[in-house]
Amino acid sequence: MQTLDIISINIWNILISLVNLLIIFLILKKLLFKPVKKVLDQRQGQVGKLYDDAKTAKELAEKEKEQYDEKLAMAHDEAVEIVSAAKERAERMGDEIVDEANRKATGMIKRADEEIAQQRKKAMNEIKEDISNISVDIAEKVIEREIDERDHKELIDKFINEIGEDDE
Amino acid sequence: MRLNQKTKHKIVDGLLICMMILPLAAAIVIKVLTQPYSEGMNITGALIFLEIPMPFQPLLITEAQINSWLVMISITGLCLFLTHGIKAVPDSKRQHIAEMIVEKVDSMVRENMGEMFMGFSPFVAAIMALSAFSSLLTLIGVFPPTSDLNIIAGWAILVFILITYYKLKGGLWNYIKGFGDPIFVMAPMNVISEIATPLSMTFRHFGNVISGVVISALLGSALSGITAKLPGLLGQIPFLKIGIPAVLSLYFDIFSGCMQAFIFASLTMIYISTGFPGEAYEKRMKRKIERAKKKEEAKRLAELEK
Repeated sequence: MQTLDIISINIWNILISLVNLLIIFLILKKLLFKPVKKVLDQRQGQVGKLYDDAKTAKELAEKEKEQYDEKLAMAHDEAVEIVSAAKERAERMGDEIVDEANRKATGMIKRADEEIAQQRKKAMNEIKEDISNISVDIAEKVIEREIDERDHKELIDKFINEIGEDDE
Repeated sequence: MRLNQKTKHKIVDGLLICMMILPLAAAIVIKVLTQPYSEGMNITGALIFLEIPMPFQPLLITEAQINSWLVMISITGLCLFLTHGIKAVPDSKRQHIAEMIVEKVDSMVRENMGEMFMGFSPFVAAIMALSAFSSLLTLIGVFPPTSDLNIIAGWAILVFILITYYKLKGGLWNYIKGFGDPIFVMAPMNVISEIATPLSMTFRHFGNVISGVVISALLGSALSGITAKLPGLLGQIPFLKIGIPAVLSLYFDIFSGCMQAFIFASLTMIYISTGFPGEAYEKRMKRKIERAKKKEEAKRLAELEK
C-alpha cells in the first residue's frame, strides 16, 4: 500500500481537517457545554431560591415574634386592667354592703326607740290611770264622803297630768 | 419501574463506553491489518487507503483521516458519557469531571480572552481535546493524526480565518491600515508576519509530534541493532526494546502531546483576542447605532410630514 510523504500537502485533507475541528466544536458545544451550563444554572437557581426561602422564612419568623411580643404585652396590660377593675368592683360592693348594713342598723335602732317610746307612753298612761283610781279611792277613804266622782276624777287627772308634764 | 430505569441507565452507559472504546479498538485493528511488515527503520507519512479524484488534487482517505474520525467518535462518546444522567444536584463522579472541564476551560478563556469571547470556550476545548487525543493515539501504537501536516494545517487555517474575521470587526480600512504600522515601509513585513501566524502554529505542533515519532523510530532501530550485535541467544531476542522506549514515550507521547494541545489552544486564544481591535470596534458600533438612530428619526419625520 502507498504511503504519503512525511511532509505533504493536500488541500482536500486540509479542508476535511478544518471541517472536523468545526464538527468537534459543535459536538462539544451541544453535548458537553450546553448540558453542563444548563445544570449549573439550574443549581445556581436552586441555591438562590433556597437562600430566598430562608430569608423570607426568617423575616416571617421575626415578624411573628414581634406580633407575639405585642400580644404578650397586650395580655399583660389586659390582666392588670382586669385585676384593677375587679378590685374596684369589690371595693364598691364592700362599701355598698357596709352602707346597707349601717342603714339597716340605724333603721332597726330607730324602730326600737319608737317602740320603747310607745311602750313607755302606754305604761305611763296605765300608771296615770292607776294613780288616778288609787287617788280617788284614797280620797274617798279620807274624806268619807261621796263626792262627785266625775268632777273629782277630772281634778285629779289634771293634777297628775301636770305632775307628769313636770316629770317629762 | 425504578429498577427498570436504573438498568436502562446502565445499558446506555455501557453503550456509551463502547462508543468511546470501540473506535480505538478499530484503529488498532486497522493498523494491524494494514501495517506492511518491515525490517529496520521506516519513517513515512500516513497510509493511503483510498484515492478519490477531485479537482486540483485527488482526495486522499488516509490513516490520518480515518484515525481522526475515530477520535472524534470517541470524544463524542466521552461527552455523552460525561453528561449522561446529569442533574442539578450532582450524584456521580462523572458529572463533577464534566463540570470541572467546563469550568476550567471557561476560566481559561475568561483570563486569556475576556468576557466578550466566552463563546470561544467550546472551540478552545475542541482544539485541546482533538489535539491531545490525536497525539495520545501513539500510546496504543496507532498512527497519530497530528503527525500529518494536513490535519494541523486545517486547524491552523481555521484559527487564521477566525483571527482575520475578528480583526475585520474593527472595519476593513482599520484592517488594511494595520499593515502600515508603524510606518508604511513595514507593510511587507507585516504581511509576512500575518501569514507566518498559521504557518508557525502548524509547524510548531507538527514538528513536535513528528520529532517524537522520528526519535522513537530511531531509538527502536538502534536498540534492535545493538541486540543483533550481541552474541548467542541474547542476540535473538530484542530485550533492550523493553522499558527504554517507554521512558521516551512518556515524554514524547504524553507530555509533549498534551503540552502541544495546550500551546495550540493558548496561541489560538491569544492571537484572536490580541488581534481583535477593541477600540475601533467600539467606535464602529457607536457609529452604527448613531446611524440607525438618524435613520429612524428621518423615518419618523417623513411619517409626520405625511
